[in-house]
Formats: sequence, C-alpha cells, structure tokens
Amino acid sequence: MDATLKLWAVILIVGALNYLSRLSFIALFAHRQVPPLLGRAFRYVPAAMLTALIVPMVVTLPVAAVGPALPKIAAALLAGVVAFVTHSQVKTLGVGMVTLWVLQALAHRFG
Amino acid sequence: MRRFASDRDFRAGFAAMLPVVIGIVPFGLVCGVGAAAAGASALGALGLSAIVFSGAAQILAVQLLAAGSPLAVIVLTCFVAGLRFLIYSAAMAPHLRPLPTRWQKGLAFLLTDQAFAASVRRFDAGGDPRGGGLFFLGGGFALWSSWQVTNIAGYFVGNLIPAAWSLDFAVPLCFIALVAPHFRTYPTITAALVSGFAVIAFAGLPMKLNLIVAGLIGIVAGTLADFTRDRWMPR
Repeated sequence: MDATLKLWAVILIVGALNYLSRLSFIALFAHRQVPPLLGRAFRYVPAAMLTALIVPMVVTLPVAAVGPALPKIAAALLAGVVAFVTHSQVKTLGVGMVTLWVLQALAHRFG
Repeated sequence: MRRFASDRDFRAGFAAMLPVVIGIVPFGLVCGVGAAAAGASALGALGLSAIVFSGAAQILAVQLLAAGSPLAVIVLTCFVAGLRFLIYSAAMAPHLRPLPTRWQKGLAFLLTDQAFAASVRRFDAGGDPRGGGLFFLGGGFALWSSWQVTNIAGYFVGNLIPAAWSLDFAVPLCFIALVAPHFRTYPTITAALVSGFAVIAFAGLPMKLNLIVAGLIGIVAGTLADFTRDRWMPR
C-alpha cells in the first residue's frame, strides 16, 4: 500500500475509532445500563493500559541488560512518587527529567 | 470561537489548562519528531495531531508505520490503547447529559486524559451544566490548539533538540503523572503491576502486540482483585 494512503487511512480510521470511544457513554450508550461485570472491568482500563504504555518507554524491550536502563527506571519511580503526592504534571515532568539528566551525567562520568 | 472568548467559564477552563499545556509541550514535540521520522508529510503530521488528537495513539501509529506494520495491526493497537476513553466518556456522561446533543458531540472530540483529569474536578464541584460545558470547551480548546503548535514545531525543528536531553522520556513521565495518583486501591495497583510485568514478559511478540496482551491481562487481573477484595474485605 502507498505510504501516503496508508498514513491517511490510519489518521481517518484511528481518528474515527478514538472519537467513537470518546463519544461512547456521552451519547451512543447514554441510556443503556452497563453490565456490572463490564463496569467493574472498566475501572482498571486506564491503570492497565497506561502502565503497558509506560513500561516499554522506561525499560528498553526486549530486556538485554538492566544497567543502561537504571537511570530511567530510577527517574520514573521518583516521578511516580511526585505524581502520587502532588498530582502535578509539571512537577512530575520536572523532577523526572532532572533526575534522569543527573543520573545519566553520573553514569557517564563514573560508568 | 469569538463568541466564547469573552465567556467567564470558557476563560476559566482555558486558564486552568495552561499548566497542563506547559506539561505537554515536550510530548507534542516528540510526537512531531516521530511523525517526521516515519516519513509523514507536514500535512499528514498535522492530520495525525488534529484528527487523532491522542499522544499515545500518535506515537504508536508512527512507530508502527515506520516499522512497516499492517494497517489492521496499527488500527487495532491504537484502538485498544484508546479504550481508556470509554472510561473517561462514562465518567463525563452524567455531567454532559443536561447539555444539547450538539454540545455533547463537540465536547466528546476534546476528551483527552488531561482534559478529563482537569474537568472532572470542576464538574464535581457543582455549578450549572452549561458553565461546566464551557469550562470543558475552554480547556479542550487550549489543549487542542497548543497540541497542533507543538506537534508542528516538533515536525519541523524537533531534530535540532540534542539527543542528550532525552526528550523522549517526557512521554512516559506524562503518563506517570496521569496514572500514579490512582495507585490508591489494591485492585488498581494489581492491574498496573500485572500489566507492567506482562508487557515485559510478552516483549517477544511482534508489532507491539505485547501492549494489547498486557493491557487486557492487567484489566482481568484488576477485576479479579476487585472480586477478591469484595470476598475477603467486605465493605
């Protein structure tokens, strides 16, 4: 498939599916009762999906050696604590990035 | 937009989103860089950010496109990663119900992780639904417009950012900022831990299919943990 066509197919199909997901309970199933089991499972979608997105960005997969990933793992854990305590996106970002820079500089110097 | 620009609630929503906007600047830049790296045209990059309007889906899409994955896999992965919008939609629905259908359809487009997190607090605080809707519109507009600017900036000048800055790392940090505050209940922590281990365990799967597998296993684990909590820790 032509690359430009494929990109636009992705944009339109993913765009439409994302919009339908966003619209789902606001308009599409607004008057329908969610089955209890589904409702219960739904609660854990953000935690499971976001974690599945986060982990490969922190621990380079497939895991070959843990050593080089250590600064990112440490920075991510500290950022998690900051996010948990402060609920602030800017503070989480700031602490996470600065921690990573410091640890990478140290690893470069002494590693 | 002009008729909203002078509205008090619209402005309050816009202003409330500004700290979040600062927080997503690096994320937007990374998305723009990714689109350029995948060989997208400037118009294609803008199409991604303007229509898909989801950092997670955009990053997955450009990475899978660059790797030459089939269209069906790209669509499925982005859809599963976007399932969290169902939750946000369900949580926002009661607040938007008093609004006209036209408003519901428009505001749904602006539903993102960040807009949801900011607006739910505003809606929970009460007030008239129209004010809440305008607050959401103001915040969503701030996010959407700044998202286009940062994506395009990343597309054109992102390659000037030194690799030593590790700008990519801003992306997981944005998601950490969203998810970590929810690690307060045992089933939520179970869902995250199981999903995190599963995504590593299934790293051998091609085309990032480990994301879908891990996400689904994590959801099942969280649900099971929820049931056992009912059983062993009656509320």
